[in-house]
Amino acid sequence: MNRYKIHHVTEFTYDGTVSESFNEVRLRPLDDDRQSCLRFRLLTRPLAPVAARTDYYGNWVHQFNVLAGHRHLRVDAESVVMVQPVELPAAGGVSLTQLDAMKDDLEDEFYEYLAPTRYVPHLEAARKLVQDAEREPAGSTLAFAQTASSLVHTRFRYEKGATHVHSSMEDSLSSGAGVCQDFAHLLLAVVRMRGLPGRYVSGYLMPRKASEGGNSMEEVIGGQASHAWMEVHVPELGWVPLDPTFGRPVGIQHVRIAYGRDYGDVTPVRGVYKGHAGQHLSVDVLVLPALNEEGHELLVETAAGPVEPPPESVPQQQQQQQ
Amino acid sequence: MNQLQPSPAPANNLFEAYETGAFYDEMFEQPSVPRSHYAPLFQVIGRLDQQQYQQRRELADLAFLIQGITFTVYSDGHNTERLFPFDLVPRILTRAEWDLIERGLAQRVITLNLFLQDIYGPQRALKDRIVPRSLIFSSPQFRREMMGLKVPRGIHTHISGIDLIRDSATGEFLVLEDNVRTPSGVSYVLENRLVLMHAFPRAFSQYAVLPVDHYPVELASILRSLSPRGGADTVAVLLTPGIFNSAYFEHSFLAQQMGIELVEGRDLVVDSGIVFMKTIAGLKRVDVIYRRIDDEFLDPLAFNPDSVLGVPGLMQAYREGNVALVNAIGNGIADDKAVYAYLPELIRYYLGEDPILRNVDTYLCSKPDHLAYVLDHLEELVVKAVGESGGYGMLMGPASTAAGRHEFRRRLLANPRNYIAQPVIGLSRVPAFDETTNRFAGRHVDLRPYCLFDGEKVVIVPGGLTRVALRPGSLVVNSSQGGGSKDTWVLRGDA
Repeated sequence: MNRYKIHHVTEFTYDGTVSESFNEVRLRPLDDDRQSCLRFRLLTRPLAPVAARTDYYGNWVHQFNVLAGHRHLRVDAESVVMVQPVELPAAGGVSLTQLDAMKDDLEDEFYEYLAPTRYVPHLEAARKLVQDAEREPAGSTLAFAQTASSLVHTRFRYEKGATHVHSSMEDSLSSGAGVCQDFAHLLLAVVRMRGLPGRYVSGYLMPRKASEGGNSMEEVIGGQASHAWMEVHVPELGWVPLDPTFGRPVGIQHVRIAYGRDYGDVTPVRGVYKGHAGQHLSVDVLVLPALNEEGHELLVETAAGPVEPPPESVPQQQQQQQ
Repeated sequence: MNQLQPSPAPANNLFEAYETGAFYDEMFEQPSVPRSHYAPLFQVIGRLDQQQYQQRRELADLAFLIQGITFTVYSDGHNTERLFPFDLVPRILTRAEWDLIERGLAQRVITLNLFLQDIYGPQRALKDRIVPRSLIFSSPQFRREMMGLKVPRGIHTHISGIDLIRDSATGEFLVLEDNVRTPSGVSYVLENRLVLMHAFPRAFSQYAVLPVDHYPVELASILRSLSPRGGADTVAVLLTPGIFNSAYFEHSFLAQQMGIELVEGRDLVVDSGIVFMKTIAGLKRVDVIYRRIDDEFLDPLAFNPDSVLGVPGLMQAYREGNVALVNAIGNGIADDKAVYAYLPELIRYYLGEDPILRNVDTYLCSKPDHLAYVLDHLEELVVKAVGESGGYGMLMGPASTAAGRHEFRRRLLANPRNYIAQPVIGLSRVPAFDETTNRFAGRHVDLRPYCLFDGEKVVIVPGGLTRVALRPGSLVVNSSQGGGSKDTWVLRGDA
């Protein structure tokens, strides 16, 4: 069991005055048998009343508007979350041959997690990964998914800034590089193309204690804190999480915020506003991890770099997405 | 001279050489023998000579032009504003014909509403495998944002425009398609009647025709009944995309008839889930929105973020029950042309009744065996894209070119779910004036009645919009494809 305090700050700075800003955020960690969100607080500046609801996928959504003119918008989300260790199945699940026989039933139950989506097209270029993962001698669906995850992990390069939120899967397939979002989308395409339902997970990857060291990959991910991975539905086993970016089992370092078909369903912050101003977005995620066995707390502060303002100004604009 | 010889009766002039052809002719049992309920009309119109007819016609056109009753045709990036062609010969339905239609439509509207309650609620019809789950979840018209949302008074389909055709083979009315998003055209029903009464006062006075002018009153009363605040000071508005929309005339007409404000998205603002209208006296709360903007453009925060037509935050206000929308969001899943094929089954499922009005036989290209059949019979079938309306995105097999069929073959194989096919139905015909011959000739028609649902009963303005394919031989009645309209009379008693 692990307990984290997360302080997620999103700040928009505009070149001029904007108004009628409407925003929707998905920042509250979810609650289920593996994770509890013990506290959540959302504060906006300028101050605005915040309405909460859950969406189609069961994710928490908070919505607010700022009508009056402003040049700066800040969203502070603070949560305290407790994560239980996950018992991952080592083996089992139906065989790939059995899976093929279940096609109709799976499509009936999980259509949305099998069909291609905007960010997860079923590209011919991804077919090679499906074929290679299928060579796994055990022939089980779980082994297929695990192999696919490690293939994506080893064949693609984690490169901060390699892609942006509007990049396509073609971009990352051709460059061989991407960020966690691209890794998750790619693995989703591979399992879905093989007939296994897959869902996108957005959340945080908690940095490990400095004393335990860690490889360079982890530092890069830790620097971002916001993270994405996926879960595959293996008949007889249920949803099994896989993290193709991290390349290691999903565990108590993973804090889940939202599920969806792809990134488009779980965008952490999205909004529109009126005004001709360009904008500048910055995101900070501050993490206060475990009350560990020694009772020590470790504070890690991270910051994402500034994002270039969009080239064009239109009367009604979209907030940049993180 | 020939003074002593009987001159040819002018009564036959404009109907000279009129042929009923191989089709069900609504006016004539056989050439020059009108059906009994058309006989008085034939007496009047048949007596006119060409000049007298043209005079009436010019007056009618002028009346439409003065009132600005136009529509816009979109094609290849060019927008052209046109008068909606109006043909003076009314289409007459007997009370018995109408009673059957009315019962059939009420049954259908109630089923469509139950289907939408179900799809965005418990999804019983999916669990019981009446409709395949994949058909719903693969449709871009299925709005996940509507799941579990309790719409005011349980009404999704306040206004339905259901297109009927009469099959020449049997004389039976069939349902061609359902329109439960933002069906348009009702203003023509009202205007056509006014113009026709002035063009043919004598013929009109010989019939007891059921009135249509109460439509705005009925709709306004439904709008008021939906107010989340209740009370007499309900504020309802009509939300239009603006003057460039093809149906802008109708939007302004209906708003004026109902005595409600006509607004654009920029006139409304949402604050913490409450919708307000910007007025010179400050913000005024809005309770009910009759929106004529498609779902996708309604709220840039919830749907298409590039839309500048909509109102950001509207979905939140709707979700929280602070505003009613007419029609509900997400109705496109019910009038999807593939879902249409399941409507007869859904009527049995929800109501335990047999459908009163039948569907046109429909091949679902999502089914491999149906797709194979369609690909083999493209020349005989009408192929339609499931999400399109207005006659766009369809292949008329018998009139198609090899290149057109080749293109559709490619589209069908690429995205079978997106297409259905139907046999070509020989639509019934009604005489319409042919500009080139200056005579009446049989032209194919359909019928779009407008159904209002108040949560308990379905109110249908008698008749509806008769659309007529003015091009000789054409079966496509859509105004965007060279169609026009006629006044539609439903007789009080049986003629």
